[in-house]
Amino acid sequence: MTDTPRTPARARLGRLVWRLLPFSPILIFGAAWSIYWNVAHPPLAVMPSIANVVGAVIELAQSGSLLTDILASLWRLGLGALLGIAMGVAAGFVTGLNKPLATFLNPLLVFFNAISGIVWLPLMIGWVGIGTGLAVFLIWNSVFFIVFQNTVLGVQLVPEVLEQSVRTLGAGRWETIRSVTFPGALPYILNGVRSGLGFGWRALIAAELVGATTGLGQMIFRAADFSRTDIIVAGCLIIGMIAMAMDRWLLLPIERRTVQRWGMVARSEGGRPG
Amino acid sequence: MSGAVDKIEVAGFRHFFQSESGPVQATSIIDLRIQAGEFVTLVGPSGCGKTTLLKAIAGFIKPSEGRIFCNGRPVTGPGRDRGVVFQELAILPWRTVRRNIGHGLDIAGTKPAERDRIVARLIDLVGLRGFEDRYPHELSGGMRQRVAVARTWAADPDVILMDEPFAAVDAMTRLTLQEELARLCATTNKTVFFITHGVEEAVFLGDRVLVMTRRPGRIKAEIAVPRRTPGGRDWESFTADPEMQAICEQVLRLVREERGATLVAGDGASVVPAA
Repeated sequence: MTDTPRTPARARLGRLVWRLLPFSPILIFGAAWSIYWNVAHPPLAVMPSIANVVGAVIELAQSGSLLTDILASLWRLGLGALLGIAMGVAAGFVTGLNKPLATFLNPLLVFFNAISGIVWLPLMIGWVGIGTGLAVFLIWNSVFFIVFQNTVLGVQLVPEVLEQSVRTLGAGRWETIRSVTFPGALPYILNGVRSGLGFGWRALIAAELVGATTGLGQMIFRAADFSRTDIIVAGCLIIGMIAMAMDRWLLLPIERRTVQRWGMVARSEGGRPG
Repeated sequence: MSGAVDKIEVAGFRHFFQSESGPVQATSIIDLRIQAGEFVTLVGPSGCGKTTLLKAIAGFIKPSEGRIFCNGRPVTGPGRDRGVVFQELAILPWRTVRRNIGHGLDIAGTKPAERDRIVARLIDLVGLRGFEDRYPHELSGGMRQRVAVARTWAADPDVILMDEPFAAVDAMTRLTLQEELARLCATTNKTVFFITHGVEEAVFLGDRVLVMTRRPGRIKAEIAVPRRTPGGRDWESFTADPEMQAICEQVLRLVREERGATLVAGDGASVVPAA
């Protein structure tokens, strides 16, 4: 509740401003780009105009290759991320609930964390060849470790008193994990999934640059051969927009219904809770 | 006592904690019996080992020495026969008031209709009607502790262990919660073991007040409090009753002796001599 009473119309305006706020940086960025391009007129091989990029998107969409590339990339990302999240959460729970195991695995984790996903590329090309398997592995590799580490941390940080209190209600080990440990660790798990998806996109594009015949990464790579900066920029924009859409329409609703509803994290928009 | 099994029996309990410089003695030898329907309060200086004793009865820590029984059965771990109301916030933030209070019944497999009936009655008893579907973060500290109390009562344990449950709420709310607890106990006739460092709280709530020495604590005195009528469990009549005030003074003296002893024994060097 705010101190000053607000009319419904003003409240509605306030909500609209809140809703549009996340889009304003995009508008500002687009405006700056247009102004620069109209002043400097760089050649297409250096920098495209917004019209060039829109034209490239239309051209690719009409030929049908854009949809094929997007679907190929999404399929790889979805498969790799799903495997990474599922295995990361499961392994994170086992490790987080088992202190000796966590201590045992810690050096291994630091070791593998230091090796970025791309380093695996030369080895993996020899092992699984070029194709979906390679991309899926690289995405899994980025998602798994982040989700795993966050899950371990989340499980370990659930207050012991919550677990104890539920055990005095007669809960066994499984009920304690289900009703206390999992929801307690959820803020960390979701945070891990969010970072993991970000790194997953990077791994996906890197894998497609080298080891694929379709996909957004490959689309960008092919365009580079012909200095088609309009396609390169279009590819980057599409990747960024899909990532934003996934965050907004997949992750945020889950957060709003769970950890935000439970008062475990601050609300991301729309004023402060009463 | 007339052949009945004690609800709680603590026999020859003693506990040590492991620290880096070796074992630290948390309590001296403690013997304790609590009978069905009794409200026993334990008051003692901070660090005397009273929480250690409660945690051992709850089954969270294994005693270094001695044995603990609940209904004649040895305690080996936490269980639904011994409910605990903790000092800090221990209700689940991701469950509504209704689902927190009904949690123990869900675990026990109580039928939903029966569960809802029990939960609704307890919500009325602790004055949370209208807040059934709120989450803990939407409640005040006092209301959260009411949920914690109701949750433990709903699971219907044999004994309820309470570890300074009202220490974290403001003074005015605490008075109300103490009155509500006294009424709740009178209505439900539960066996309660209640730990506090508040002398008046101990006398107000307890049928029997136990006083512990400083660490390593043992029970040094036991004061019976005459039964009050269920209607007379409020602070106004309590403070106006000379008999109750006399008991408070007696308990206070016993507790203060321990504080004085701690000052001389532990902090002797820092005590400034009177000018």
